[in-house]
Amino acid sequence: MKLNKLSAAARREENWGWFMVAPTIIGLFVLNIWPFLQTIYTSFCEHLGFGKYKFIGPQNYIDMFGNTEFWKATWNTIWFCVLTVPIGMVLALFVAMLLNTKVKFKGGFRTIFFLPLVCAPAAVAMVWQWIFNGEYGILNQILGTNIQWITNPKTAVLAVAIVSVWSSVGYDAVLLLAGLQNIPKTLYEANSIDGAGKIRQFFTITVPMISPSLFSVLIMRLMASMKVYDLIYMMSDETNPAMADMQSLMYLFYRSSFVTGDRGYGSAIVIWTVSLILLVTLIQFWGQKKWVTYDI
Amino acid sequence: MKRIIRTSAVLLTAVLLLSLAGCGASDGKTHLKFQIWDTAQQPGMEAMCAAYTAQHPDVVIDVQIVSWNEYWTKLEAAAESNTMPDIFWMHTNQLLYYADFGMLADVTELYDDVEDGYYQNHFSEISLGNVSGSDGRYYGVPKDKDNGVLVYNKEMFDDAGVSYPDDDWTWDDLVDASQKIYDATGNYGYLAYLDDQLGYWSYVYQNGGYILSADKTTSGFDQPGGKEAMEFYIGMQQEEWCPDQNFFTQNGAGATFWSERGAMFMEGSWSLLGAIENNPHMDGKWDIAKLPKAPNPVSTPESLDQDGRACMSNGLCYATAAHGKHREIAMDVIKFFGTEEAQLIQGRSGAAIPAYLGTEESWREAWDKFDYKINIDCIFEQFDYAIQVPYNSASPRWKSQVSDVLAQIYAGNQEVSSGLDKIAEIVNTETAKKLADN
Amino acid sequence: MKGSNKNGKILVYALLIFGSLIMIFPFVWMFLTSFKTPAESMSIPATLFPSAFRLDKYIEVLGKLPFAKLYWNTILLVFFRVVFAVVFSSMAGYAFAKLKFRGKGLLFTIVLMQMSLPSQIFLIPQYQMVAKMGMANTIFALVFPGLVSAFGVFFLRQTYMSIPEEIGEAAYLDGCNQWQTFYKVMFPLTGTSVAALTIFTAVFAYGDLMWPQIVNNDVTKFTLSAGLATLRGMNTTDFPMLMAGSLLAMLPMVILYLIFQRQFVEGIAGTGGK
Repeated sequence: MKLNKLSAAARREENWGWFMVAPTIIGLFVLNIWPFLQTIYTSFCEHLGFGKYKFIGPQNYIDMFGNTEFWKATWNTIWFCVLTVPIGMVLALFVAMLLNTKVKFKGGFRTIFFLPLVCAPAAVAMVWQWIFNGEYGILNQILGTNIQWITNPKTAVLAVAIVSVWSSVGYDAVLLLAGLQNIPKTLYEANSIDGAGKIRQFFTITVPMISPSLFSVLIMRLMASMKVYDLIYMMSDETNPAMADMQSLMYLFYRSSFVTGDRGYGSAIVIWTVSLILLVTLIQFWGQKKWVTYDI
Repeated sequence: MKRIIRTSAVLLTAVLLLSLAGCGASDGKTHLKFQIWDTAQQPGMEAMCAAYTAQHPDVVIDVQIVSWNEYWTKLEAAAESNTMPDIFWMHTNQLLYYADFGMLADVTELYDDVEDGYYQNHFSEISLGNVSGSDGRYYGVPKDKDNGVLVYNKEMFDDAGVSYPDDDWTWDDLVDASQKIYDATGNYGYLAYLDDQLGYWSYVYQNGGYILSADKTTSGFDQPGGKEAMEFYIGMQQEEWCPDQNFFTQNGAGATFWSERGAMFMEGSWSLLGAIENNPHMDGKWDIAKLPKAPNPVSTPESLDQDGRACMSNGLCYATAAHGKHREIAMDVIKFFGTEEAQLIQGRSGAAIPAYLGTEESWREAWDKFDYKINIDCIFEQFDYAIQVPYNSASPRWKSQVSDVLAQIYAGNQEVSSGLDKIAEIVNTETAKKLADN
Repeated sequence: MKGSNKNGKILVYALLIFGSLIMIFPFVWMFLTSFKTPAESMSIPATLFPSAFRLDKYIEVLGKLPFAKLYWNTILLVFFRVVFAVVFSSMAGYAFAKLKFRGKGLLFTIVLMQMSLPSQIFLIPQYQMVAKMGMANTIFALVFPGLVSAFGVFFLRQTYMSIPEEIGEAAYLDGCNQWQTFYKVMFPLTGTSVAALTIFTAVFAYGDLMWPQIVNNDVTKFTLSAGLATLRGMNTTDFPMLMAGSLLAMLPMVILYLIFQRQFVEGIAGTGGK
């Protein structure tokens, strides 16, 4: 009797669950998953033109794995993630905490940190190209160096990474700010009675409390960094002698699919990139058990 | 707060429903979409459309602009779902792809009722080459033509005591003047930046080389004339009077010239009206000349006998979809766009130099509003020995691979001669593959 | 103790001002460039200040683009994208965080999967869907790819997961069914996260210049970003005009942000009692 009753409640819960995820799942399937399944198929095809394909088996993958440019792009992408994700996350958290303190003109400061999000990409590109300019750039003047930031193979990815962190810190801070706001103040009050220092408070209360938001921002930032393309496109072009040391996987994909029209090869690059992302994401989900706290 | 959100939600939804209901203007007229990518040419295109609709009051033509970066993605997506705009600009680089796939209406017989051999009588061979599909039929009505000229800073020439470029100028004179200007003024001489149409292409042809053979099936990058020219062109960046490619990627040759830091660069005829308008501070200080010629062109059976002269010429065309909804009317409109009347309107507006033979000079009128006069004659004279920009049906495939290798050459990671062999191989392989597919 | 607190305040201000300078710089650049002549904007080396403050480019751009239409389209796009993202993501986020149902793991994988896919691969298929529905060149076409938000689901799931189980259980014991628990008790607790998602979704919808140009034809059916993109020439771009237009285009977003960032403060008041 008791078992039956429980399962009736459980069944109701299940129905509600399905009902509540249905719009999202149907939408995702039609808008995104179906095109992705097609991409998987086209990665085994040669694109003849205008959406007509010819099945050629794994040839695109063979070409891809035999291409040094591709491996270089894979490495560039990973290097870009290493440069942007940890620093970006720390900075975003730092900015979010600063914006969460009791200061005057808080609204003003928050708005200023929001500005990069809505600045025209052309303006952003112009400014940073000027900052990084090898001859006349302000960065070389400040540092007293003579580095061709954008066209030097050693610094090109770094330059793009800096622009990326700058433009994403506002986004991430907005999301983390929401997490910080959800922490009940009473927790801090109780804690300061205990006489805990600010730094200890940060690690014992703040980090665990916002770890769920931190985790979602981390996953999103990692995925966005693995998919970087527009920043490179914005900061440089084909005439750059350092392009091979700068281009990402998605840049290669964009060129294959939309410039050369070789969509089969482009699809293979997408499949490779998505596999890498999913692998990293799986590791993150496995690792989150160690640091993300959902219930206090 | 909540109430504000709720009220505004209701209001917005209501207005949206109204705006949805309000669309679909039914005035009984045929509405045509005319898609272009250059906002600067919009007035000229609209003037042509106005001339057409004045005679056909039942037709309305909307000129729609899509930025160059999105133009081809949009057109291809539209082609795949048979929703192409009624009329659109076509570029030589893309025409073969669209035409060979049967996406464009065949316009070869468009003027048969007007005059026999209309195309041959009124358009140059290059213009017709730009609109021909692989089957030799025409898939667009020629719109305009262009070429590249040498832009130079008169003041710097005067300061260095060098005489201005003239018709007999050769590469040697270019180098000589660059060195003297650099020594006398400290400014850069000729700005030899990495570019095809505005860079190495014309040097290759001037020197008796070729990018693609006359039948467009093989590459000439590895032929002596081409190699020598490429070595000369790329080698200029080694000179003290020319910045390196790092500089050009970051600063651009045009900006360097207009900021009075370089004495010469190659610029397309299409940019000159904008240049004179945007750079009033340079009035009196600059002029244009024909491209310098190769001093000792290599002569091979394949090379064109050009006496060391060559300039690259491209041209756009007007096209319509093979299976468009308003195909007949759209054909009639582009037929009009190819007449003397329409091409004169285009020329006078300054949009571009018209392709219709004999109407080219109308483009001069666009220059009348400027007090400062430059030597635009040289642009028209250069058409006498112009060469069609070298594209074949495989160019979308090889174009970016070629620029990758060139970037490596400029970066110093690849030797020029072996790099050019590699480029020739890429072009030949991709072309052969494409020919086998067809 | 008081002294160190004061020093801390000064440090916070110093950092905020320093950060603000870095963040505001491109904006200042845009502002100053919008008054330059095209030649000034391209000069090498670049100059910071215009030789004179001319308003011509503002007048020119207002004549060149139908700004009123573009504002309106952008508002509609942002509004519908946000509503869909918030409603559907809240429902799904809650279900994934708090409800037990078969297939949850698999379905959540689909959400993660979507996040990992590059949006460029959807471009042509989604265009074809819209074209087949005969909805190209409408406001609906603009909204279409954003009907659901995988990131929103993931982000709100994280938020719901950090809400203690007891709150839901208490509501359930009070006689609420699953929907009422969600709608009346849990959803109001996520105010700040919803505000953050709103800003996030709005900025994304606002910044996309590719999709509106692909799916719509008339500039009167474009958004601000797409309209501005048409000002970029193939060979040369009138940067002062582009900057003037961009500044005008930023206004509604900044106002929207000012409204919603206030929600962050109210959020504290709302959840502080728990």
